[in-house]
Amino acid sequence: MSTDTPRQLTLRILRSSPGEGIAPHWQDFRVDEAEGMTLFIALNEIRDTLDPSLQFDFVCRAGICGSCGMLIDGRPGLACRSLTRDFGPLITLAPLPVFALIGDLSVDTGSWMRGTAERLETWIHSQAEPDLTAVEARMEPELAEAIYELDRCIECGCCVAGCGTLRMREDFVGAVGLNKIARFRLDPRDERSDEDYYELIGDDSGVFGCMSLLGCHDVCPKGLPLQTQIAFLRRRMVAVGLK
Amino acid sequence: MRIVYTDVLVIGGGLAGLRAAVGARRRGHEVVILSLVPAKRSHSAAAQGGMQASLGNTAKGEGDNEDVHFEDTVRGSDWGCDQAVARLFVHAAPQAVRELAAWGVPWNRVRAGEREVVMDGRRVMLSERPEAHGLIAARDFGGTKKWRTCYVSDGTGHAMLYAVSDKAVAEGIPVHERMEAIALIHEGGRCHGAIVRNLVTGELSAYVAKATCIATGGFGRIYRVTSNAVINEGIGAAIALETGAASLGNMEAVQFHPTTIFPAGILVTEGCRGDGGLLKDAAGHRFMPDYEPEKKELASRDVVSRRMEEHIRAGHGVKSRFGEHLWLDITLLGAAHIDGRLREVKEICRHFLGIDPARDFIPVRPAQHYSMGGIRTDARGEAYGLAGLFACGEAACWDLHGFNRLGGNSVAETVVAGMIVGENIADFVESPAGELQVSTALVQGFLAAEQGRLDALLQGKGMESATDIRRRMQDIMTDKVGIFRRGDLLAEAVDELQVLLQRSRRIGVATKRPGSNPELVAAYRVQKMLKLALCVAYGALQRTESRGAHYREDCPRRDDANWLMRTLASWNDPFQTLPTLAYEALDVRGMELPPGWRGYGARDAIEHPATASRAAEVAAIREAFGHADRAIVQQALMPYEHLVPLRFRGHNERLGDPR
Amino acid sequence: MSRLLERSATLPPPIARQAPETPLALTHVTAHPRLRRSRWPARLDLLQSASGLFLALFLVAHMFFVSSILISQDAFYTVARFFEGAYFLATPQPWIVSCVVGGVLAVFVLHAWLALRKFPASFRQYQAFAEHRARLRHDDTGLWWLQLWTGFALFFLASIHLYGMLVHPELIGPYESADRVWTGSMWPLYLLLLFAAEIHGGIGLYRLALKWGWLPGGNPDAARRRLRRLKTAFSLFFIGLGLVSLLAYVRLGIAHAERAGERYAPSGDGTPATLAEGAAVTPVVVPSRRGG
Repeated sequence: MSTDTPRQLTLRILRSSPGEGIAPHWQDFRVDEAEGMTLFIALNEIRDTLDPSLQFDFVCRAGICGSCGMLIDGRPGLACRSLTRDFGPLITLAPLPVFALIGDLSVDTGSWMRGTAERLETWIHSQAEPDLTAVEARMEPELAEAIYELDRCIECGCCVAGCGTLRMREDFVGAVGLNKIARFRLDPRDERSDEDYYELIGDDSGVFGCMSLLGCHDVCPKGLPLQTQIAFLRRRMVAVGLK
Repeated sequence: MRIVYTDVLVIGGGLAGLRAAVGARRRGHEVVILSLVPAKRSHSAAAQGGMQASLGNTAKGEGDNEDVHFEDTVRGSDWGCDQAVARLFVHAAPQAVRELAAWGVPWNRVRAGEREVVMDGRRVMLSERPEAHGLIAARDFGGTKKWRTCYVSDGTGHAMLYAVSDKAVAEGIPVHERMEAIALIHEGGRCHGAIVRNLVTGELSAYVAKATCIATGGFGRIYRVTSNAVINEGIGAAIALETGAASLGNMEAVQFHPTTIFPAGILVTEGCRGDGGLLKDAAGHRFMPDYEPEKKELASRDVVSRRMEEHIRAGHGVKSRFGEHLWLDITLLGAAHIDGRLREVKEICRHFLGIDPARDFIPVRPAQHYSMGGIRTDARGEAYGLAGLFACGEAACWDLHGFNRLGGNSVAETVVAGMIVGENIADFVESPAGELQVSTALVQGFLAAEQGRLDALLQGKGMESATDIRRRMQDIMTDKVGIFRRGDLLAEAVDELQVLLQRSRRIGVATKRPGSNPELVAAYRVQKMLKLALCVAYGALQRTESRGAHYREDCPRRDDANWLMRTLASWNDPFQTLPTLAYEALDVRGMELPPGWRGYGARDAIEHPATASRAAEVAAIREAFGHADRAIVQQALMPYEHLVPLRFRGHNERLGDPR
Repeated sequence: MSRLLERSATLPPPIARQAPETPLALTHVTAHPRLRRSRWPARLDLLQSASGLFLALFLVAHMFFVSSILISQDAFYTVARFFEGAYFLATPQPWIVSCVVGGVLAVFVLHAWLALRKFPASFRQYQAFAEHRARLRHDDTGLWWLQLWTGFALFFLASIHLYGMLVHPELIGPYESADRVWTGSMWPLYLLLLFAAEIHGGIGLYRLALKWGWLPGGNPDAARRRLRRLKTAFSLFFIGLGLVSLLAYVRLGIAHAERAGERYAPSGDGTPATLAEGAAVTPVVVPSRRGG
C-alpha cells in the first residue's frame, strides 16, 4: 500500500470565478501523496499551502452530508471519500454541471434541491395532526427498513450530473426527485395516491422524460436502487395514464 | 445596504434550528433561517446511532420511563446539568420521537419473537413481546439502564434532518443558504437580529428580528482531532460572546468520543458498542472489563475515552505510522447485522480504511466530539443577559448535559429543544417584550463596524497567516486541553492562545476579492474561534476538580463542595485577551437526584455540605408518598411542569400503561 | 414562496404589522386540487416502448424469414408465398404483404415520431449531451448515443426499404430479392440497414427491459449485466445471420445477373403448380433497374 517515495500528484482543477468574470480554465497543482490521502486532504493542502483562494465545499468529510460532489476524472463522485491511491498521478477535478457555479469546485446544489422539494412536495402529506402523547402508529419492521433504503439519498447531486437527459433538458426532475417520490409512495403515512403523484411527475419533465441511461444509478455514492425505483414509478404512472 | 425584517431569525439550519423554526412558524410567525450550507448538509446528518426517548417498547427497554431516563442523564452529566431542564427534556423526548415518526422518519421497528443479539461478547436470545410488534425499537447505548436509543439503522441523524428539513419546506420557511451571521445587533440588553455576510457575494446585510435564535452547533474545529464537520467552528457561540452581554456556560466541558477512526477522526457510532462491539488492545485483549466491571464498553463516553487513553499510556496501544490506536471489534456482530444496522460504519470503513468491518477490526482512538458548553440560556432557551436572543441544540448551554452528555441525548436534544424553544420564541414574539423597536442608526452602526473589520483584513497591512494561527490553535487544544488535563499544561495553553489572539489581530489576507473568498473567511473566523478556545482553556484551568469530561490529573476528584457550579464566560471588552469568568452555583437543595456515585467511573467525590440533608429530604418525600403515582412523587420532589409549553404537556402513554 | 419582507434601510422598521396569517401547517398537508394533468404523456411513453418492441420483434422474425435463403431457395420462396396467403387462398395475394408492410411502416413512423421527442432539440442540447457523454465515459450513456445515430440512419434506410416492399410486394423471392440486392445495387443500403437496425434493436430491447424494470433474478445489478451481455449477443447474432444471408443474396444476384428480372420457379415439391407456372410466364422488370 505504501511506497518508499511518495507519488507526486497533479491535481488539474477547473478554476473559475463567475463573480469576478473569470472564465473557466484549467490549473495544475502538485502535491506529495500521503498514506490514506483523500481528495479532501489534498484539496485542503493545496488551499493551505499553494492557493488560499481555491473554492470547494466540504462539510462532514465522511461521505454523509453530500456537499463535496464534483467531477473526478470526469465522473461525479464525493471528493471527501475518494482516496488518491485509487487514481492515476494526474487527477482532473471539475465542478458538477447543471448546478449554478459559485466558483472553482463549488456549486449551488442547495437551491436546486430546495426547488425539487417544493416541486415534488417531498414531505408526508397527512390530514391528521399526530397525538404526541399517544402510543405511536405501528409499522412493519420490513417496511420501515424499505423506506429507509430510499431515504438514504444525500442530495449530493451526483445523479443529476450523471444524467444525460438532464444535461439536455433542464426541467427534467432527475433521479433524486423520482427516488423521493418512490420513497413517499412507499410510506403509508403519506396519504397521497398515485393520481396525486401523477400530477407531480406524470409528464416528460417527470418520469416519462427518463431515457433509462442509468448514469444516475451507476454514479450514486449511496448505491440507491435508482434503476428499479424509476422503472417501478414508470409502471405505476403508466397505469394511472391508462385508467 | 440591505435590511431584512422578520419576526424570527434562526441562525443555523440543523435539526435544532429547523425544529425551532417550524414551531415558531406554526404559531403564525414569519421565520427566516440562515445557514452556512444547504440545511440538509448540516452536521446533524452525521449523528448515526440514535436518539434517546423512553418509549420502553423493546424487551430490554421494558419498564423504562421518564424517571429512569432522567436519572441516567443526571448521572451522565456528573451532576453538572440543570435537573429541571433534564426533566423537561426526558418528558418531551418521547413526543419528539413520535412527532418525527408522523413526519416520516422510518424508525426501526420492533419485530415480535425471538432474536439473537450480542451482549457482553456473547450471543444471547431476546424475545420481543407480540404486543410491541411494529412499535418503535431501541438499541443499547452507553451510560443507560435501559435500551432507549431509537434509531434508523445508523443514519438516524440523516433521516431526522431530512424529515424536519422537508417539514420546513412544507411550512414555506425560507432558508437563506451560504449566509453567515458575523455579529449580533444589540443594544441595552436586547438583541435585534444579526449582521449577515453572504458567502458567495461577500455582501453584508442586516437581518432585523423580534427574536433571534442561535442554533449553530458545536465548536469542535478548535481542536485538531475532532469528529466534527468542518463547519463546526462555533461562530454562533462566538458572536453571542462578542456582544459582551451574553455569556457562554461550561465551555471547558468538552466531550471526546471513544470511537473515531484513526487517524482521520471520522465517527463510528456508539451503536457499534451498543449492539455488542468490543474494544481491544494490541494483544487482542478486551480491556474495558478490567477498568469498568459494571458497564464495561458501555460506560459513559467520558469514562470510556479516558480508559482508552489510559490503556494506551500503559503501553497497550497498537503502534502505527501515525501514532497509537486501539481496536473496535464488531466482527462478532456478523455481516448481516452490519449490513442492516451499521451500514454507514461499513461504508466509512470501506472508503476511508479499505477494510470490511465484518472481518477486520476498526482502528479507533478518542477524538473531540461534542461541546456541552455553549450560549448559556434559561430553561426557556433565552440567553442570559440578552433579551430576544434564544439558543438551542449544541450551540446552547441549556444545560441538559452538564459535564458529560450521554450518547443519543444530543440528537434528542436538538429536536426536543427545538420544540420547546420554538414555542417559547413564539410566546416571546407575541408578548409586549417581543415588540420590535430598533433604530436604523443602530443597524447602520453595526453594519459599518462589521464592514470596517472586513475591510481592515482585506486592505490592512497585516502579515500573519490565518492558516498558521488556526493550526497552532488546534494543536494547542488537542495537546494541552484534551482528555487528560493538567494545571501547568493548561496555563501554557492559555498563555499561548493569548499570544495567538493578539497575532490574529494582525492577519493579512492575500486574496483581495470581496466575494467568495475562503481566505477571508478563515481570517475572520479564526479570530472568533480563538476566543472560544480561550474560554475552554481558561475555564479548564480555573476548574480545579474533575467532573464528567473535564478531567484534571492534578485534581482527580469531583469536588461538589467547591465546584458544583457552572462557569459563565463573557467577553466585555473586545481588546481583552482573556474571558471574564463568573460562576453560577447549582442548588443542591432543589435537586431531585442529589449528587452521588454515577454507577461507573471514580467514587471519591468531595461531597457538597447540603447533599446529605437533601438526600434525606428526598428519601423522606419518597417514603411519605409510598406507592403514589410516580408523577405525583416527582412533582413533590422537583416541580418542572411550568417549564413545559402547553402544547407538550400531558402524560406520555406507553405500551401496557395501567392508565 | 418566501413571504419575507424586505425594505430599504431608509424606511422605519415596521413596528406593528398585520395579524399573523393562518399557520401553513393545515393548508399544506393536503395535496391541493389542481388541474388534472394530461394522461397523454403516459400513453405516448407506453406507445413508444410498445412500437419499439413490435418493431424489434418484427425485425427478429423478418431476419429469420430472410435467412431462410440459407436453407434453400425453395425455402425462402415458400416463406415469401406463405405471406401472400398462397396456402389459404386460391392464388397468392401480394397486397396482403403490402398491407403488412403498410402496417409496419405506420408503426415505424409512429415510433420515429415518438422517439424524435427524445432527440436533442437544439445545437445547445446536442452539444451538452455530446460533452456529457465524452466526459462521463459511461456505457449506457454511450449506448444511447449509438441508438440516437442508428435511429437517425433508420429514418432513411428503413424508409427506402419499406417503401420498396410496399409498392412491389410481389418481388420477394429468391431471384427477385437477389436481383434487387445485386443488380438493383441495393446491397450497400442493406448492409448499412442491417447494422443500424440490429444495433438499434438490440440496444432498444435492452433499454426496454431496464425502462420497465424487467430484471429477472434477485439482484437487479446482476440482471442488468446479464441483459447487457444478452443485448450484445443479440446484435452480433443477427448481424452475423444478416451478413451471411446478404452474402447469399449477393452471390445469387451475381449468378443471376445475366437473367435479372426472371421470376423464380420452385423446384416443385409441395408448391402449388399454378404458382410456379404463373411466375415463369410473367416477365417482370426489377424496380431498381427500372429506376435506372
